[in-house]
Amino acid sequence: MAAEPASGAGLFGADLAADPRPTFAELRKGSPVLRLPDLQGFGDGGVVILSRYEDVHFALRHPEVFSSTEAAVDIGQDRPLIPLQVDPPDHAGYRRLLDPHFSPRAVNGMEGAVRELAAELIEGFAARGRCDFHAEFATPFPATIFLRLMGLPMEELPMFLRWRDGIIRPQVDPSDLDGARTVRKQTGQEIYAFFDAVIDDRLASPQDDLMTAFLTDEIEGRRLSRDEVLDMCYLFILGGLDTVTASLDCLIARLAQHPEERQRLVDDPSLIDGAVEELLRFETPVMGVPRLVVADVTLDGVEVKAGERAILLLHSADTDEAEFDGADEVDFGRERNRHFAFGGGPHRCLGSHLARRELKVALEELHRRIPEYSLAPGAELSYSPGIRQVDPLPIVFPVGAR
Amino acid sequence: MRVVVDPDKCVGHGRCYALAPDVFEPDDDGYCMVRHYEVWPAVAELVRRAVANCPEEALTIED
Repeated sequence: MAAEPASGAGLFGADLAADPRPTFAELRKGSPVLRLPDLQGFGDGGVVILSRYEDVHFALRHPEVFSSTEAAVDIGQDRPLIPLQVDPPDHAGYRRLLDPHFSPRAVNGMEGAVRELAAELIEGFAARGRCDFHAEFATPFPATIFLRLMGLPMEELPMFLRWRDGIIRPQVDPSDLDGARTVRKQTGQEIYAFFDAVIDDRLASPQDDLMTAFLTDEIEGRRLSRDEVLDMCYLFILGGLDTVTASLDCLIARLAQHPEERQRLVDDPSLIDGAVEELLRFETPVMGVPRLVVADVTLDGVEVKAGERAILLLHSADTDEAEFDGADEVDFGRERNRHFAFGGGPHRCLGSHLARRELKVALEELHRRIPEYSLAPGAELSYSPGIRQVDPLPIVFPVGAR
Repeated sequence: MRVVVDPDKCVGHGRCYALAPDVFEPDDDGYCMVRHYEVWPAVAELVRRAVANCPEEALTIED
């Protein structure tokens, strides 16, 4: 499978996303700090790829060296996304405003509705004996929860998904960088215009939703500006609609192909918490995150200079045998699992508590109603690079079970 | 045996209170609060596990 990491060409292709482990293992061994002078899509000056757990760990926890400011990545935005592309200390104020809305306590309050939704979606295909799990569950489940939370209309979901894909995976030839930039810019302008109108609406008639909270919550005695709210909404469309979908795709694709693992979870649902953590580690759906180097640093003997861009390969860190015993094995009872599937440091995924609950509830409800499932015969799965969605994900199961 | 959290390092992964809820709990923002600094024998193993699973190395055991 050895792609040619030296050229960078194989590093972000679809072939790699299906099973990045062998390539990443080679990277960690041979070039743990790999400089690619001309990786497409990352601007001038090249990019430095970090693949070892220790180095990714360092980078995540040192924003004064590895900055998240907007220069690190262009995704069609006019200003830095909040809070993702804001560094400490300003970052902390935004997180203080947002964290309570996504805390474990807040998530506890949502669990009933989350479970009901999961059961309802599963009921929609349970009698059919087959489904496209990506389209019929992994997409609508987190999207519905997110849109309810935000107070956005479900009937607009196809538009939101189009925006998400326009930013994250623009449908142009991979070598057409200008084309991708144009699609992102256009999509970005649509996102700003839509939320601008939503803000006007909530200012006129407040609701019990997150859109209203963005406008009324205060940081250190002040409300957010319109631009600040827009910069959060832009990020939320991407974070709220993509990552849990990709995680569900990865988890169910794995379990559909590993009946002994699936059966253990069916037999003993108390294993699900550990299984979610382990499968998040093993699959790490968000393969990497970008940073901008803002201070010179030496890692593994390689000098990295201020001004360079960096990619922190979370997936590689999470499968690094130097940190994880038996890193290539799935172990639901793993004793020490300090994975970075949700990133780490100050930018730890805001939605991680909600995401974990959604994954747990999804597995519990699916296994309660459909304890046996496998990939549809002949199905060949395709993983999207970057954020690993599996679209489509056709599974089959006995009808009338339970 | 005592367990302490470094609030400057904790970023709210929540692994500790998921693994040892009798000893750790989330604050209003989801960050770690230690309920009981003095660890009693019955939970010692869970506390060790929570410490080992903190990605930020924010927890320390003092014997």
